Amino acid sequence: MKSHIIILANLLFFTFSNTAYSGDINAGEARYSQNCGNCHGPAGMGLASYPKIAGKEVAYLKDRLNTYRAGTKIGPNSSLMIMMAMPLTDDEIANLAAYLNAQTK
Amino acid sequence: MLNKSKLLSAAIVSVAAFATAPIHADTMGTPNISAMSVMNGLENPWDMAFTSGGDMFVTEKCKGLSVKTSSGAVNKLVGMKDAKGYASGNSDLFCSGQAGMMGVALDPNFNKNRRVYVASTSNKYHGSGCKDNFSKCDGNIIMRFEVSKDLKSVSNRVDIVKDIQYKPFESDHPFGGPGAHNGNRLRFGPDGYLWATTGDRHRGVVPQSPTLLGGNVLRIDTDGKAHPGNKPPKGFDKRMYTYGHRNVQGIDFRPGDGRAFTAEHGPWQNDEITALVNGGNGGWDPRPNVGGRGDCPDKYCGYMPNQKEGMLPAARASFMPMSDTRFKDLMPPAWNNNGLSQGTGSAAFLKGSNWGYWEGRMAVGIMGIGFGGTPSGMRIDVVDIAKDGQSIKSVIHMPTGLTKRFRGLRLGPDNALYAAVDEGEIYKITAEKP
Repeated sequence: MKSHIIILANLLFFTFSNTAYSGDINAGEARYSQNCGNCHGPAGMGLASYPKIAGKEVAYLKDRLNTYRAGTKIGPNSSLMIMMAMPLTDDEIANLAAYLNAQTK
Repeated sequence: MLNKSKLLSAAIVSVAAFATAPIHADTMGTPNISAMSVMNGLENPWDMAFTSGGDMFVTEKCKGLSVKTSSGAVNKLVGMKDAKGYASGNSDLFCSGQAGMMGVALDPNFNKNRRVYVASTSNKYHGSGCKDNFSKCDGNIIMRFEVSKDLKSVSNRVDIVKDIQYKPFESDHPFGGPGAHNGNRLRFGPDGYLWATTGDRHRGVVPQSPTLLGGNVLRIDTDGKAHPGNKPPKGFDKRMYTYGHRNVQGIDFRPGDGRAFTAEHGPWQNDEITALVNGGNGGWDPRPNVGGRGDCPDKYCGYMPNQKEGMLPAARASFMPMSDTRFKDLMPPAWNNNGLSQGTGSAAFLKGSNWGYWEGRMAVGIMGIGFGGTPSGMRIDVVDIAKDGQSIKSVIHMPTGLTKRFRGLRLGPDNALYAAVDEGEIYKITAEKP
């Protein structure tokens, strides 16, 4: 019985932690459309002096957003990104990363 | 004599007719607007210029100058560093951040002299400057070329302006990368002279400087020499028509009186449309320790008092005004975008009766920059400017059906409005009488 509970707990943990890790592409798209696209363009294609972020690795995208959210400068437009990333939740970061990673054009 | 049933039928028909008729029939002459893409797959298209025959010259910020001929062929003419397939390679022309190949204008006598003028970032004249962000850096230039009759090549490059200021390094500001604020829109005025806009390049002393070209509108001849009628203050560079601007990217001339108007991009407040006055001051002075301000990051107060977080635009404007009333030679803006900055990138007056009662109004391209709670507002505005240039009578959004970053606007010889958008396309926006 005890082993069943452990297995069930592990199953639930990995199921939900995995869901949070991989993010929701649709939710990411909705969040992206709120303000990210103003600079980074449709589907993260990059515009003007704002870099292309479509198709980047999930780990990279999450790391960048977490870094900006923490207020750490990592490039010339950090001030802008720090301001935009501050309000993001963990789930929103995961969703954005999932959405942008899926944009492969 | 009509019987009752006929009368009833007539009444029903009448009611039906009224019910299906437009309830807001246009009696004002509002044009019908449609938009279609005429070029795509471009990389940051920035500006266009047209021959009388409809050939369209196009700049791409990091690639160079091309022409789409009236027959539809696209010929690559002036290439920048590392750009491939261009008839003329120019290794000194480079792009960085906001900077690169930008404005383009054709000589009023193009059909005879084949001359085209192009504004671009270049490292050819850096010399001993450009060692840091606080010294002179001649990095934006205006070039003149001659275009072959078959529109396939250029020759005889002459750099007619070599000393427009450029930002060489990153600084501690929003949009703080190298290459910030270059202006670089080129237009010929009705006087036959070339008007060139420049930007403050994130250096506090530049806009009010008598000698550094930056934050100005220049009025020059086709050799780069000052118009003899320019009236900048005593001791100022004679090429300046106006000074004290932030980053002018839109300029055009009002039909009828030929007066120059600029559309200027505000910091986090106050985009502006301004009627220019010969020798006038735009009122932008981002130096530290003036106007009640103290020290600022990297000696530039342009985003203060709080450059890293959103705050009330009006509070910003009172601290760091776009048009500072300390200046007696201030040119007050006709419009300030309701106190917001959303990125006015270009402007063109609407000409031709096809624009209906919008004829003579100014179309202003808004790129859409939404920080600190400001709605991004990507759009083209149609602005009715008062005759004295001191105010506007109305502003409406042009119903293009497009939500794009409008970077460059230019009226074509067909009186259609052409719009370059950062998304990599050029749209033709057509107006027809209702």
